Amino acid sequence: MNREQAGRLLQQHGAVMVLALLVLAGSLAFDSFATPENAASVVVSSSFLAIIAIGMTFVIIGGGIDLSVGSLFVLGGVLAAYGSRHGPLAALALPLAVCGTVGLLQGLVIARTGMAPFIVTLAGLLGVRGLMLAISDEGATTYLVEDRAFAALGQGELLGLSYPVYVTAGLALAAMVLLQRTGFGQNVYAVGGNEQAAALMGVPVARTKVLVYVLSALLAGLAGALNAARLSSGVTILGIGLELDAIAAVVIGGTLLTGGAGGVTGTVAGVLLLGVIQSLINQVGSLTSAFQQVVSGAFLALVVVAQRLLSKAQRLDTGGPP
Amino acid sequence: MTPHVRMASLAFAVLLTAAACAKAEEPQAAPSAASTAGQQVVQTPSGAAGPTCTLQQFGGTPFDLKTAVVGFSQSEKEANPFRIAETKSIKDEAAKLGITNLKVTNAQSQFSKQITDVQQLIAQGARLLVIAPLNSDGWEPVLQQAAAKKIPIITVDRKINAKPCSDYLTFIGSDFYEQGKRAADRMIDAVGGKGKVAILLGAPGNNVTTERTNGFKDRVKEKAPGIQISFEQTGEFAREKGQQVTEQLIQSNPDINGIYAENDEMALGAVTALKGAGKEPGDIKIVSVDGTRSAVQGIVDGWLHAVIESNPRFGPLAFETAAKFLDGGQIPDKVIISDRDYDQANAKDSLGEAY
Repeated sequence: MNREQAGRLLQQHGAVMVLALLVLAGSLAFDSFATPENAASVVVSSSFLAIIAIGMTFVIIGGGIDLSVGSLFVLGGVLAAYGSRHGPLAALALPLAVCGTVGLLQGLVIARTGMAPFIVTLAGLLGVRGLMLAISDEGATTYLVEDRAFAALGQGELLGLSYPVYVTAGLALAAMVLLQRTGFGQNVYAVGGNEQAAALMGVPVARTKVLVYVLSALLAGLAGALNAARLSSGVTILGIGLELDAIAAVVIGGTLLTGGAGGVTGTVAGVLLLGVIQSLINQVGSLTSAFQQVVSGAFLALVVVAQRLLSKAQRLDTGGPP
Repeated sequence: MTPHVRMASLAFAVLLTAAACAKAEEPQAAPSAASTAGQQVVQTPSGAAGPTCTLQQFGGTPFDLKTAVVGFSQSEKEANPFRIAETKSIKDEAAKLGITNLKVTNAQSQFSKQITDVQQLIAQGARLLVIAPLNSDGWEPVLQQAAAKKIPIITVDRKINAKPCSDYLTFIGSDFYEQGKRAADRMIDAVGGKGKVAILLGAPGNNVTTERTNGFKDRVKEKAPGIQISFEQTGEFAREKGQQVTEQLIQSNPDINGIYAENDEMALGAVTALKGAGKEPGDIKIVSVDGTRSAVQGIVDGWLHAVIESNPRFGPLAFETAAKFLDGGQIPDKVIISDRDYDQANAKDSLGEAY
């Protein structure tokens, strides 16, 4: 194995390796860490961030960024709780329809006007949270999920894990197939790698971008709806800063922030890594939670530096410009 | 924590061996005379009003608090004095009682994190949970898990919307509606029963904000119909937000007479905004709730008119309640504490008791 291959391997599977190491260290250090119950709590609570981060992976590989997902997550939850008065179907359809529309609008603006995704989705972040506050009396009204069938979607369990975990696993598999085995997936890589070159090759750049933002918004809305089912209420104080957690997970997972490279496996490992760090800090019990942010931040910095070094090494190996 | 230990634990964390931090410990402040001052006093004698709950009714089994894992879940970042005093009170009391296995988590104002925190406390074998809830709704997954294991939950300062004695054991806290009413009395007094008053609302989605607002408004409507509440906006219990909202307030309502801030942090933010706008102490009457040291100092300096206390020292009462419950005693469905108030007359002498 030469240096380039080693570098690529580390880039793609570094998060999985670190995750395995952390889990091993945690199991040795704490009796109550590797219990089925604690593992379930990490996996279940990570599943909502994972759904959002899967969408974010598409956006970032496609060379964009989506800051609106935290707001879409809380809006999705409030709409789901509101819709659940009219049955489980409405509880799912309402958040998906609204969030999908927001994603479509953002995608159209980004693809058609060429405005920076950062600004367009920042506007989305603010506007969508405003919309959520408007339908909940500035957050003072919490809609409760009355429909037991819908609540069961978030609370029901199979083999000790609640349903959202299986939904997340299914979505991750589907996303892998979509990204690796379909034309759409190849287009996302092409657009993120080099937009002009992709356009010259006949890749439908605008359509790909729009679809990516719609997908991200739909997944954020779905995560919000599932979370509302789990909590049995449309809690209005959720999702602040969640977009940054999602971006951190995607980058820790080895997806390049500049676009064109990355994958879903790394993202899922990145999300679990953040969850395991939180769990380890809770195990210690006497450390303040601020440590979690310190450790997560340190990880992110390490990964970004490593990515930079690896990509430099690869360029040197292939004789490209530094 | 000494700088040395802090550096070492930080380095360890970065080296992916967070496990090594297990030995790092919070400094235990030597119990000082001040730590017993201003302790919480129960208002309604326990058992007098409302239904009560015993261990038998709850369905749990007795255990020894000293050796059991006890979990405390704090809601907000420890950036405001109320939260700092609350966590310290719980930790100090646990140390005093010889509870060796207290696990403390802080949700950093993120509700999803608080749910996960409590679930992980349960997974770590917690037998008793003391929770300062960030939000009143959305606790179902936690309550289900705790109920399955018959773990008693005591919620402090905010309520959880659920059934006492089955979903959770009891709630310990202030009567927030009463606090709102008393704040209104002070405000009516301050502005002479007429004029324009603004409300800086607390964070949405919890009973504290709702009740402090309703108590204030109901009392004003009842006793001083001449007072017009002409502005209300949320300052989310935070100082910067209180300042920001007050800046907008004096732009849009320059003739405002009084500001009711639903906590001290927002009131202190309002003071900063008023100073920035060139106002003098006392130009606009400020009444707030909490009783933090800076706010009581604000009364001494003349910027605040009165402060209604909301006592955060939950440690002694929480563990006393838990011990009584485990001994088979009757626990009321809510334990309401009695709060004092601070004004020009007593502020200077009471500074030492404020937190």
